[in-house]
Amino acid sequence: MNRRVVSRRVVSGESGVGSGAHRNRQSAWRLVGGGVVLAYSLLTTPDSLLSQDAEAGKVIYDQWCAGCHGETGAGDGDAAAFMLPRPRDFRMAIYQIRTTASGELPTDSDMRRVIDNGMPGTTMPGWRDKLSGGERDDVIAYLKTFSRFFDGASPQAIDIGRQPGRPSDEDLAEARRLFADELQCVRCHGNQGRGDGTSAPTLTDDAGFPVRAADLAENWNFNGGGTVADIYMRMRTGLDGTPMPSNSDVIDAGIITDEQLWRVAQYVRSLSPDDPPARRDVVRAARFEGPLPSSPEDTLWENVEPYYIPMVGQITIKPRWFAPTVDGLWVRAAHNDETLTVKLTWNDASQSPDPEWDEFFQGVVQTMTDIDGPLPTQQGPDRIVVQFPVKAPEGTELPFFLGGDTRRPVYLWRWTSEPDRVEEGTATGLGTFLATGASEVTHTAVFSEGQWQLQFTRSLVPADSSIAATFVPGERLPIAFYAADGTDAEDATRGAISAWYAIYLDVPTPPRVFVAPIVAALFTVGLGLAIVWQAQRQQRKT
Amino acid sequence: MWRILSWLKEPFGQAVALLVGSFLFFKYGIPLFPGSAPVPNSVVLQYTLIALVGILIFVSENEKRWVRFKQPIRATLVDDDKRRLRGVLLAVVPLAVGLVTFNFARPSVGATAGLRAVHPSPPSEIDFQGRTLRIQGLSNPLRERGSMEEHYATGMRIYYQNCLPCHGDLLDGQGHFADGLNPTPLAFDGAGTIDQLEESFLFWRIAKGGPGLPPEGTPWNSAMPIWEDFLTEDEIWAVIIFLYEQSGLEPRTWEVEGAEGAGGER
Repeated sequence: MNRRVVSRRVVSGESGVGSGAHRNRQSAWRLVGGGVVLAYSLLTTPDSLLSQDAEAGKVIYDQWCAGCHGETGAGDGDAAAFMLPRPRDFRMAIYQIRTTASGELPTDSDMRRVIDNGMPGTTMPGWRDKLSGGERDDVIAYLKTFSRFFDGASPQAIDIGRQPGRPSDEDLAEARRLFADELQCVRCHGNQGRGDGTSAPTLTDDAGFPVRAADLAENWNFNGGGTVADIYMRMRTGLDGTPMPSNSDVIDAGIITDEQLWRVAQYVRSLSPDDPPARRDVVRAARFEGPLPSSPEDTLWENVEPYYIPMVGQITIKPRWFAPTVDGLWVRAAHNDETLTVKLTWNDASQSPDPEWDEFFQGVVQTMTDIDGPLPTQQGPDRIVVQFPVKAPEGTELPFFLGGDTRRPVYLWRWTSEPDRVEEGTATGLGTFLATGASEVTHTAVFSEGQWQLQFTRSLVPADSSIAATFVPGERLPIAFYAADGTDAEDATRGAISAWYAIYLDVPTPPRVFVAPIVAALFTVGLGLAIVWQAQRQQRKT
Repeated sequence: MWRILSWLKEPFGQAVALLVGSFLFFKYGIPLFPGSAPVPNSVVLQYTLIALVGILIFVSENEKRWVRFKQPIRATLVDDDKRRLRGVLLAVVPLAVGLVTFNFARPSVGATAGLRAVHPSPPSEIDFQGRTLRIQGLSNPLRERGSMEEHYATGMRIYYQNCLPCHGDLLDGQGHFADGLNPTPLAFDGAGTIDQLEESFLFWRIAKGGPGLPPEGTPWNSAMPIWEDFLTEDEIWAVIIFLYEQSGLEPRTWEVEGAEGAGGER
């Protein structure tokens, strides 16, 4: 309704401009006013969903939603067996992302928000760009028909008050203590919040599917949004259907105050970077004058910039894997004109194989499709492959990014956690491997509190450059990654892959970089003085 | 405040305000239009220079205005009471020039831009699962037999089980794996995507995937699998039907293109 009024106003504004050859001020203002009103209406979602139509919603649902959620709303669509976490089963009317108390139905705006924005960290996309506001409302009406619980219900959002101001260091320290002790968050989320708590391997959702405790260091993957208010709301309302409980009763019982829970939300937010990591195409290896960092925990690494490499499921070559554990690697690199060292850091709740995680592993095997062949029967090791072209590419043609091909092989560092070993070799396709005789690559791997740190070191010039890449300072060399989590049933070619990126070994800054600006500035001063002098001479003449 | 307003009455103030205003518009205004992307800095610079030329032509067109326009510049250069401003400008401008030069001279390492044909010309025939299939003139056999509802349902199953992670629920090429891939997956929604292509072109691209791209389609970074290793011929045709039905687009047909040799230019 609102929108129609607005559009009429804009049309009248436009016709005012178009009709008169004399553009008077009034019509211009009307156009601006119309634009402002239109922009405002686009930015705000209507509060009342006036004309929900479940029948129209069914048409939309069958076309766009049923592929995952299933025609009957059972969360068993064609794609469901390829997804973990699984799509929502609407028949139970159990919704994770709500502003209502634990065990309650969601409000319409709760459902609308998830449909609009999707659920980060899952396969659920946002539908803002595809479906109109009315269509999205119709779908909500249809979703409610899957469960009788919605009949006559009018769920109410809880009152959450206001976020207190910025936390002091003491506030955060106190919140950290509550996170660990009173609230017992660490039991699932782990000491550092990386989803590696002692209970984490046994977690399942209401339907019995394995579910991971969220990695709290990646707030961009939080299902219900990553702001402090989002986190607070999830802690108050719980994620129904999952093991994540509501903490409202902890406040009601007087164990902690509401403000303290806000502080915990602020603490959780502080575990993630301010902004989600940006993807950059070139990893720069810092140039060191002296010795390089000797271990992953060497403090020398603190001066080396980290680069984030997004990792996605390997779904090009059989067997494929649709739900990888590793969704990103932090890469740091350094060299000293003789040796290159590369450190990878990524979060993985388990040091595979780990008997503690057998239950989780079995859950994954039973949940995920085995369409490309049988899944492993027991946990394998965690694995990493770092890949370079054997020969620096001429022009733009690179080896196939998944392990090269027979025409253009790739050179690999291949690491496994068990045995803790790195091999050097070449490949002509994903999963192939031809080890070079004696490996020149050394490595150190450290697993701690749900995080791997793995450092590779090799001389810039290999013994045999016909089977191994040569690293040349000042030149770019393509680099790509593969990562697999044994606990997640990622064996063979199952796992996560990256596209090609590049690694660039920094060279000393040439002096002209500093000389040129000085010369330019001096020249400009001279020019300025000349102009002033000339102008003043002329002034005196007249 | 009043001083600023009185400056705006002067041609010089107006010219400066106009120049700054047009820069802000190019830089921040244009991206606000629906469907437009941020304007690259070099283009903003170009537009701003054009605006500057236009403004200079305008102020110099009238002799009186030109004199008034130059007045504040001249005053800054010669007046005794402007000595301090003069000094500041003589320091700040060269420093700014130095800074800009430094930013230019500083070594930066960008990605190599590879030119790549998104829709390369298809071959006239391909080898499909061991037999020869003529692509040129080929139309979707499923449109001639069976029920379209069934083909759509089969295509939907194939799409959701195989294509979804990259090409997305919305057919917008923004599936949940899309961000990690380079080149990013193609979109199938909106004009200028699959409505430009014959169904046989899609069949060829799906059957042969990234590794089957001709040289102008390289570098070989496409994650598109070789689908003939996964799907039957009918399944590929069914998913093509699904793509056109779901997006509401029409394929290009061989009949319309006629004897022109439709496979030639793309």
